[in-house]
Amino acid sequence: MTSRGTPSRFLQSVLQNGVGRYVSQLKRICIVFSRKAQSSLGVREFIEEGVVDYAKKNPATVVYVSPQSCRIPKIVAEYLNGNVREEIITSKTAPQISDLLTKLTNQSGLDVIRIRKPFHTDNPSIQGQWHPFTNRPPCIGPIRPQKQEAE
Amino acid sequence: MVFLTLSCWIRSRGPDRYWKVQEVLKHARHFRGRKNRCYSLAVRAVRRAFVYATKARKLKKRNMRTLWISRIAAATREHGMKYPALMHNLTKTSVQLNRRVICDLAVTEPRSFLSLAKLARARQQEGFRAALGDGKEPAGVFSRVVLLQ
Repeated sequence: MTSRGTPSRFLQSVLQNGVGRYVSQLKRICIVFSRKAQSSLGVREFIEEGVVDYAKKNPATVVYVSPQSCRIPKIVAEYLNGNVREEIITSKTAPQISDLLTKLTNQSGLDVIRIRKPFHTDNPSIQGQWHPFTNRPPCIGPIRPQKQEAE
Repeated sequence: MVFLTLSCWIRSRGPDRYWKVQEVLKHARHFRGRKNRCYSLAVRAVRRAFVYATKARKLKKRNMRTLWISRIAAATREHGMKYPALMHNLTKTSVQLNRRVICDLAVTEPRSFLSLAKLARARQQEGFRAALGDGKEPAGVFSRVVLLQ
């Protein structure tokens, strides 16, 4: 996995989320599980106990619960910028699923790829970025290379 | 008579060759020439690329440090000092800034960098006075080591 061969992005927040109001970036969650299979045991437990509390705590996210006959239970999370994330929850316990859901809620929908720098500023320079004339005294007349004595 | 040999000659090969080949080729798509299309050439090129990527992780740290050092050296020479003098005197005044931060200051905050250079020069002059003088003068302001409780 080379840095040039794999996609990468800079650290950013979606539209400066959090500077003013914080808007949860999770649009909707679809919990796909089966009614009878053994792999969806934890999901069924979570739906009996935790789903309603989760939906009340996150009023901005729509929660869909869809029991189907499927081999692998999944959580399909869609974000406001259109990204879709699917997490497989076979043989997970209910607390593990609620932890997973909090993780998905706290994520912004940006791609999970290499972040080039762990910091970002819109105003990197306060005193003015350096340019070749920053530390030179202003002079009348043609600009010549500085002599050593003048420094 | 039943002809059985003909059906024995038919072999069913593995069904996954396309995907196994694409797994390698997807890492070679941005290469130049036939290495980005032909599997046998791509395999070798992709392996070399991965080896270079692994080795480069150590080299990147070295290269970034030399870049910072050359930038700091250029910035200090603008102010009439040299890089070793600056760094040594900054450590003596217990300014614990690493080269990355000092380089960023030199680029984006030239006046702060000027103040760092002046601090280092003052400490340097105090060091010279302490070494060349007679020991009767008190140590200078910047030579006092501050012990933070």
